[in-house]
Amino acid sequence: MKSPVIAWRNIWRNKRRTLITAASVFFGVIFAAVMSSMQEGSYSKMIDNVVKFYSGYLQVQQEDYWENKTINNTFVLSDSLSGAIARIPGVTATAPRLESFALASSDELTKGAVVIGIDPEAEHRVTNLERWIIRGRYLHPGDSGILMGDELASYLHVDVGDTLVLLGMGYHGVSAAGKYPVAGIFRYPMPQFNRQFIYLDLKQAQELYWAPHRITSLVVMVRDHYQMPAARQALDTLIHPPLRVMSWDEMQPELVQLIASDRLGGKIFKAILYVIIAFGILGTVIMMFAERRRELAVMIAIGTQKRLLAWILFLEIVFIALLGVITGLAGSVAVNTWFYHHPIRVAGEAAKAFTDMGIEPVYAFSLMPSVFYNQVITVFILVMLVSLYPMIKTACLKVPQALRG
Amino acid sequence: MMKRKISILPLFLMFLPALEAGGQELTASQIVQKAYDLMRGKSSYAEVTMHIIRPKWERTISFKAWAKGTRYSLIYITAPPRERGQVFLKRDKEMWNWVPSIGRTIKIPPSMMMQSWMGSDMTNDDLVKESSVIEDYNHKLIGSETVAGYDCYKIELIPKEDAAVVWGKIYTWISKKGFLTLKNEYYDEDGYLVNTETLSKIRNVGDRTIPTFFEMVPADKPGHKTTMEFNLIRFDIPIDDNFFSLQNMRKVH
Repeated sequence: MKSPVIAWRNIWRNKRRTLITAASVFFGVIFAAVMSSMQEGSYSKMIDNVVKFYSGYLQVQQEDYWENKTINNTFVLSDSLSGAIARIPGVTATAPRLESFALASSDELTKGAVVIGIDPEAEHRVTNLERWIIRGRYLHPGDSGILMGDELASYLHVDVGDTLVLLGMGYHGVSAAGKYPVAGIFRYPMPQFNRQFIYLDLKQAQELYWAPHRITSLVVMVRDHYQMPAARQALDTLIHPPLRVMSWDEMQPELVQLIASDRLGGKIFKAILYVIIAFGILGTVIMMFAERRRELAVMIAIGTQKRLLAWILFLEIVFIALLGVITGLAGSVAVNTWFYHHPIRVAGEAAKAFTDMGIEPVYAFSLMPSVFYNQVITVFILVMLVSLYPMIKTACLKVPQALRG
Repeated sequence: MMKRKISILPLFLMFLPALEAGGQELTASQIVQKAYDLMRGKSSYAEVTMHIIRPKWERTISFKAWAKGTRYSLIYITAPPRERGQVFLKRDKEMWNWVPSIGRTIKIPPSMMMQSWMGSDMTNDDLVKESSVIEDYNHKLIGSETVAGYDCYKIELIPKEDAAVVWGKIYTWISKKGFLTLKNEYYDEDGYLVNTETLSKIRNVGDRTIPTFFEMVPADKPGHKTTMEFNLIRFDIPIDDNFFSLQNMRKVH
């Protein structure tokens, strides 16, 4: 008879024990996979928040801009360069921006704001800006109106149709002052944007800041995070000082750190979980071996090779683990897929804690393959370690004593 | 942001009346008071050219400035053409900006007070706060040094504990003859030099002799400099308090 068949039959000699052991693996896998999925999903969400709402995956800037964000550290983007960037494989969209700080003033109130000149069509392709308009309309190219965040608008007591004054410092120290009708009000999921962002047409911004043709950054989008390294390499060959390329992780080092430390915390948690599962399996294996000492001794006595016995014992453990892993994977794929399509919206006080940190109040899930195969690899390693026990025990089995048992 | 600050102290010191230089044994406070009074009148009117020098660009702004006591001042920009007609009004600790191109008066909010004024090395805060060298600091005479050929008192100004000032200490050099302020050094709370201010082109401006050229150099920004030249200054001219009003901002020229 083939050894897998024997092993398979063996594990069903004690159904309850097999099921309980498989169940511990099942729950471990489900738990770890769902937790990893939620972690990875939340990280992607956080990255998406900064990347897709604001910074983009890559930006081309004047080389001093990042350290010293003034309107003086701007550049003129040539058509040839802009065309070459758009032709890089993997680049899905580009959008020029002229961004600076200014005072926004309604009739009686004044507040500091981040004023961003955008190409309305390009910007929509990059950040989906139009989608977040809650009142009024989006900008059209050459528009004389502005878009502003809803919190800023309510602070300044202005609404669609009212006039807002922007006052700041323009290129090379000139005074920048302009009057603009409010065309639309937007509400992003991130409140810090709603509190301080004002968008206007790029041409208008260049006129306001007296910086014709100048931009502070060209936002470059790729399809997803994995396309970034290749696109970056291609960009680096095109961009030379006084320009530079920055990627989102260079622009958001705090986020990268936050994710790294959170991921480490998750790893420690999962490590503890798997250690407990490993000892559960080991317990089962020890019991199983103790129960069958005599039987094994008999087998050896009548001529079965120790190596074959060890192989069968190993297969038994593998089968139990496989039962747990397969059902666990099936379960976690189901759970994660459901939550992937129905992310958990957080409400109330908890939501405030999220938004205060600038994160969309959502528990998102990920269906990244690594979420699943990492669990399989971990269980596989555990099984290898645990199966050392019966194999060594079998090898060292003293047949006469065991027979007398 | 603090490092950007350069004091506009001399601008206001300019508008002080001269007092007779009196006795021989002066305390540090008396010396500072005399230098301060020399450059400040009951009121004053000045025409100033300001140069902003940066590593990659330069800019010139001309303005007229009226002041009365320490409470009121008003600045009217005359050049360049794009800026012409802008008015800054300071009343006590508040500041407004009239922008004719959009027909609006805007009160500068507290959050903007540390921002650069007209792109220079001065902040808006410098325009409104710098009347406190007498009351907000303890003065100590620490020696004599020669500055630009003048024998000077070197005086250390340490802020009083409850004073709302941004500097950790100030050194000022005041000539023994004529009580001319010739140099100021501003240090932050950690004792690092932030700005150096040099005053020169000492001229008789009518009723007194004072420096008419200011050069401000931030310590940590190579190639940055702001200078101001007083082309004309008159002291103790009659100005009504109403001149320094929001209504008058639109009319003044």
